Amino acid sequence: MKVSRSLLSISLIVILVMSFTAMALAQDLDIIPIKVRCRAKPPMENWRGNNFLLAENELNADLEAAGDLRRVKVEVIQDNLDWGEYITEFVLGYGAGESPDIWLTGHEYIGTQAEAGRIIALDGIIEEFPIYNLVFDTLWDCTKYKGETWGVPQDAEARPLYWNKTLLKKLGWSDGEIAALSGKIEKGEFTLYDMLETAKQAVDKGVVEPGNGFWTRPKNGPDFTPFYYAFGGETIDSATGKLVFDKTAGLKYYKFFYDAAQKYGSMGCLGLDWSSAWHPGVTSKVLFWVGGTWQWAEWAEKFLKDLGGEAYMWENFGFGLIPAAEKGGKPNSLTHPLAYLVSSQCKYPDLAVALIAKVTNYGPNTRHAIASTHLGILKGQTEYKFYKESRLLSEALYMLDYTTFLPNNPYWGTYSTITYEALAAVVSGDFTPEEAVDFVVEGLNRELGDKIIIK
Amino acid sequence: MNKNFKLEREINSLSNFPNSKPYFPKLKSWLLPYAFLSPTLVVVTLFFFVPLVIVFILSFTNLDMTNFGILKWWQPANWTLDNYVKIFTNRFFPRILNNTLMYVSMTLIFFNVGMALVIALITTNINRRVGFTFRLIWLMCRLTPVVVYIMMWKALAGPAPMGVINKHILGPLGIGAGEYLLNTNPWLFIILVNGFIGASFGMIIFSSAIEAIPKDYMIASKVDGASTWQTIRYITIPMIRWPLLFVTTYQTLSLLTSFEQILLLTNGGPGLYETEVWSLTAYHRAFSSYFGNTQWGYGSAWAVILVIIGIVMAIVYLRVFKFNELIQEPKIDQL
Repeated sequence: MKVSRSLLSISLIVILVMSFTAMALAQDLDIIPIKVRCRAKPPMENWRGNNFLLAENELNADLEAAGDLRRVKVEVIQDNLDWGEYITEFVLGYGAGESPDIWLTGHEYIGTQAEAGRIIALDGIIEEFPIYNLVFDTLWDCTKYKGETWGVPQDAEARPLYWNKTLLKKLGWSDGEIAALSGKIEKGEFTLYDMLETAKQAVDKGVVEPGNGFWTRPKNGPDFTPFYYAFGGETIDSATGKLVFDKTAGLKYYKFFYDAAQKYGSMGCLGLDWSSAWHPGVTSKVLFWVGGTWQWAEWAEKFLKDLGGEAYMWENFGFGLIPAAEKGGKPNSLTHPLAYLVSSQCKYPDLAVALIAKVTNYGPNTRHAIASTHLGILKGQTEYKFYKESRLLSEALYMLDYTTFLPNNPYWGTYSTITYEALAAVVSGDFTPEEAVDFVVEGLNRELGDKIIIK
Repeated sequence: MNKNFKLEREINSLSNFPNSKPYFPKLKSWLLPYAFLSPTLVVVTLFFFVPLVIVFILSFTNLDMTNFGILKWWQPANWTLDNYVKIFTNRFFPRILNNTLMYVSMTLIFFNVGMALVIALITTNINRRVGFTFRLIWLMCRLTPVVVYIMMWKALAGPAPMGVINKHILGPLGIGAGEYLLNTNPWLFIILVNGFIGASFGMIIFSSAIEAIPKDYMIASKVDGASTWQTIRYITIPMIRWPLLFVTTYQTLSLLTSFEQILLLTNGGPGLYETEVWSLTAYHRAFSSYFGNTQWGYGSAWAVILVIIGIVMAIVYLRVFKFNELIQEPKIDQL
């Protein structure tokens, strides 16, 4: 009886000690909230943020296995705010000490944020996650500023020239000619002015209404820069890191858009509202237009679903590179990778980078790539079973061989605003191409002073 | 009445002499009005004067996205007139100014004062219940949340076959080619959209002012054989000069600073600066840009000039309407 009593007492003591130990251990777990802020067009781009929700458990399992007492709790804030407001939100949030830990944004904002000290350089942390070696080197180049790496590429895209096959047929093109067009562009046999000439024929023959021969995006943005590059323009001086405006290339660039609007029945697109006018326009009544690969998913999901979505688009739309400016010249495209940046207010950047590593893998990235028709960012991703399922991603991949980028410079926003205003003015007929160049030179000198090189 | 009141005050003051009130009650009676005023003073100071001073200082700095949190904007060493030079040398400055003048004057003349007065005159001269109902319906524009209201207008102006105007009015009449009317006639829509809201304010003020005119004047004018127009011209309008001044001044200042409807409707487009007004430029420069190069200092300079224009216009109005005469006590009470 005595023995059983003492056994009972010992057992109780052991249970109590174990319970307290477990409780003590449990209390030692440090729950780290990680706030992820993404801009995403629903539903196509939701995986940008949602992948992190799936990554949370995976990282916590890794931490547990490694004996790390920290655990992450991911909070995703995701919407489709305009870029300008999205960036203002981050800057003002940072000023109030409330910036997100992980912030997804275009790589061209890195310069501004790095200079202001709002984001941290990731060198020294990313090396601990070999998965990052899978990311294409050219995409890493986009996230570099002053020799350091400030972000992890999230996706990439091409910005093709699209055309409406049905309207080309109405213009008298044969199926064979239409099918050969992307090849001719790639070889430099079909130039920008050939495109305008075709657009003019379409207007003259009543195939499209005046103004609808060729469209660009309706507002300021990256899509205009490849045209400037096509005419030999450069945007950044590699030696000094300063922005560059080339007057000779600029004149050709503005003359092209002046001619397009004033002589070739094109560019009736500036100022249009995206969803009520631009998207419905390009998907029905415009002959040539510049868009992004991600818009392919948007058109299929939002604008052409009733007509058959992607099947209808393969039937009626074609795409290729931005044509060269001269015969035999090199066509191009522009990719504008988004990148995950880590705020300098993030208390555990190693955990933030570890989380980003979890979503930078074939599974999560391909989910996003397929749903949003963005190009993959990982070496060997084209061989990944599920990536291969997407016809657009496979057919547009060659464009990365011709791709160009926006410069990482804190003053790119100012540069882009001034050069775009001049473009809008030549399109509206307010400026001649020469006046546009004068306006740009004067504006850049006034706004940027010694931070700009005018060639 | 007035003289009696003065006399009463003088008698009271004589009876209280010499002042025998103790110190604290005297202090209390002196402080009490300020205590009542203090919440307003605090709110106005915190949310109007302090921001105004900050915006004024910011307008002399180059505070923007690149140097936010770094630039010591409050230090005079960082103040220059560059932003103001930039505004007046801006190639699109004349267009923005012209747009602003057109927007304010057209909306004011045709709707905020003109239409408001017409509605007030009509609805106060018809069956009272019908007039009241009509005014209530007109208020719906103001009561509708602005985003919903603009979405309705966008649906009205939409391209064929979706747009209501194109499908049900212009289409059957064979007018136009079914274009997006906000692209072909942006100003017409901006003035209509703002005017429909703006007219309701004047309509309420004018209706109540007209209703408050003693009926004797109207009856007397009818006895004298005055026509309706003569009654309006020589009795009603002169009697509502004060509300007219108030509505005109208030609505001018309000229109000068309002941009939310234009922002949602055309965002300054469709052409380059085609419908960009001054306050929208201030907003665009300070808060909105595709590549996030928001320039708070530059935007503030646009806003400061707008404040100055507003003050100048308010003074002009006060002079034109002879404000001093209006605030004098009515001559009839001085008899």
